[in-house]
Order: sequence, then C-alpha cells, then structure tokens
Amino acid sequence: MTRTQDLIDAIVQTATPVRRLRPPIIRAGLWLAFAAIVLGLIAIAHGVRPDFSDRVRQPLFVLSMVGALATSVLAAVASFRISLPDSSRLCIVLPLPGLALWISTIGYGCLTDWVSMDPDGVHMGEAVRCFATLLMTSVPLSIAMLAMLRYAALLRPIEVSVMGGLAVAAVTAFALSLFHDLDATVMILIWNLGAAVLIAALGSLFGRSMLTWMASHFATPPRPDIGP
Amino acid sequence: MSAGRRSPTPLTIVSASTPDDSQKAGNSADWSKLMARSQDGDREAYRTLLEGVTPYIRSLAARCFKQPTDVEDAVQDVLLTIHMVRHAYDPGRPFGPWLAAIANRRIIDRLRRDTRRKAREVALSADHETFAEPSANLHAEKPDEVALAQAIDRLPPDQRQTIRMLKLNEMSLKEAAAASGRSIPALKVATHRAIKSLRRMLKQQSDST
Repeated sequence: MTRTQDLIDAIVQTATPVRRLRPPIIRAGLWLAFAAIVLGLIAIAHGVRPDFSDRVRQPLFVLSMVGALATSVLAAVASFRISLPDSSRLCIVLPLPGLALWISTIGYGCLTDWVSMDPDGVHMGEAVRCFATLLMTSVPLSIAMLAMLRYAALLRPIEVSVMGGLAVAAVTAFALSLFHDLDATVMILIWNLGAAVLIAALGSLFGRSMLTWMASHFATPPRPDIGP
Repeated sequence: MSAGRRSPTPLTIVSASTPDDSQKAGNSADWSKLMARSQDGDREAYRTLLEGVTPYIRSLAARCFKQPTDVEDAVQDVLLTIHMVRHAYDPGRPFGPWLAAIANRRIIDRLRRDTRRKAREVALSADHETFAEPSANLHAEKPDEVALAQAIDRLPPDQRQTIRMLKLNEMSLKEAAAASGRSIPALKVATHRAIKSLRRMLKQQSDST
C-alpha cells in the first residue's frame, strides 16, 4: 500500500500549472453556441421545414419551440453548475420551468391534433430523415458535453449526465421541429418525447462510464504515477 | 501507512458547512490562497495545502471506515480527486465547502462500492476451505476411504487380491496374471464381481447411516 505521504510527494512532483475553468454560465454559453452552429449547418444543408412560415404564426408551435429552447438552455446551465463540487444539488430543478412549458405544449398539441391523426401521417422516408437529423444533432452535442464535463466523472456523474442529456435532448427536439414536418400526433410524441426520454435515459445509464472514459483518455491534468 | 513525515496542521474544519468562526475562516482563506498558487504551478504551496488538508480528510473518513487501511485508502482517493479536478476550483469561492463536498462525495462512493461488494461475497468457513494439493484435503475424504478399505477387507480372498493388484496398485492385467498365477479372464471376472460386491456393501452402509 502506498503511504499517504508518498502519494502527496508523487502528486506534487507531477503538479503542473492548470487553466482554471471558466464560470458555468460562460461554459454553458459556449456549448449553446456550438449547438447553434450545428443547427445552422443542418439548416444550410437541409433547409427548414416547408411550412415553417405558416407554423411560426401558430402560438402553440412557437410556445413548444420556446419551451424546448428554454429547457436546453436551463439544462445546459444546470449541468455545468452541478458539475462543480461545491454547487447546490438544487440546480437540478433549474430546467423544470422550461420542461413544464415544453411538455405541456406537446401534450396540448396532441390533444388538439388527435382528430387529424391518420395512418398516412407516418411515412418511413420522413422517419428515416428525422432519425438522421436526430443523430446529426445529438451525437456532436453529446460528445462536446462529455468532453467539457469529463472531470465530473469523479464527483456527480449521474446528475451531470441526466442534466446534460436533457439539454441535448431539448436541442434535438427543437431541431426536429425546425426541420421536419411532424404533424401526426404519434410522430410528435415519438420524436419529441421519445427522443428526449431516450437521450436522457442513455445519459443516466452510461453517463458515468462515458464520463470516466473521457476523463481517462483526455485527462487534464495528468494522473501521477504511483508505485505499488 | 498513513503517518506523515511532517507534523500535520491542526484540524480546522469539522463540517461540510462554511467555517463560521474567525480562525476556521482564516484557515479556509489560507487554503484558498494556497490552492490558487497551486493552480499556477507553485509546488511548495501545493504540498503545504495537501499536507494541511490531509488530517481533515482523515477525520471525515474515520467517521465512515473502521479499518485504518480503509481510512487511508479513502484519504488517498480524496487527495487524488483533488489533484484531478483542481482546475475546477474558483479562487473567488471558499475552499472549505469545495474540499468537504469532494471528500464526502468520494467517501460515500467508496462506502457504496464496499456495500455492493459485501452483498455479493460470502464469508468462507473452515468447511469451505480446500487446497490445490490433494493430500491437504485428506481430512475431508477420510471417512469414505475408511469405509472403502473396510469393504475391501470383507471381500472373498481372490476378489480382494484382484482389486488390490488391479485397482489399488494399478497393475496391468498381464502383470497381475504373472504375479497371481491366474488367467486374465479369471482376473476380469473376479474384478467384475468384486466391484459389484463393493457397490452393494457401500450402498447398504450409506442406507443404514
């Protein structure tokens, strides 16, 4: 067993200057800026949905988009705040207002659109394109989030990954509503809530191991080499 | 083990909350400055800080672990974590709560891991012990051996001699035939009958017990 004093000696020997983390708000802002770039690139490549100009006049659609956007912003801020050891656990309630607005508009939309649901609303071609958008949005944003929060693997992996997953999920849902014509109730439910639940669940299941993997492969500062 | 070479700094913070009296606040402020200098690469400040916080971490760990080795493992885990996440410390905020949060988090993680491991493992009693060397386990096999030896003794003389030669002494049929002066078919028949008799005798014995 290594003596504690030997460990301190080893740690001190490997200590190099480190760059302090920026405040959580700024880091969340950087991540959101990256998300905006990703969405912008997809918008250039894919274009927004054909009926966007009509839909944007509908209060329910605008409320749903604002809800998803607010959820992603608040969840991103919460995940960066909660990743710091001395921050309050109560930060996990930060995204709740946005989440409530987003979920309620989806639910209300489902209720009013229920009659318009028909089997022809679900097309395989559109579903595949939706899935491609989902991956193009969520994968780079998840990787960026994991890289920025890798030090949290040792502290609060579950809370951080759930909040991070919620932020990614909300941006993804926002992107899906922006780029795809999802008027069938089933599609709205599957792509909005389904994707959100899936990404947040993956975050809570694999967040700890993914953060640990990220921390071990891209560790800063380096771990001291301790003898047996 | 744990004993540091240098005399440890007296325990200054005793809870996860912000230190409330002036001395504690002063020490926390000192630690805060030391940590800020450590982040800039000042190794002596870093050493002073780590040696200063070790007794406090040890006092926290000692509340949760009984074995001194477990306590020291937890202390070292917390020190390593501080080292890994030291860039996450903001010098504008108090150091005490930052340190206490990390220490409590790592200690709770270790406690959970220990509890999970203990739930999966079963303590072995002396009866479960066995060894790679067969002779070391003879005490467990002895009753069967004694019963078999007694059963062999009760066999008719020709069967007893055949079993001893072919099975216990592991002679070939040819060697046994040469040694006993009996034909190979006679030895085969005797072996067959002896094993049948032994099986019956051992079965009777196990039924009666």
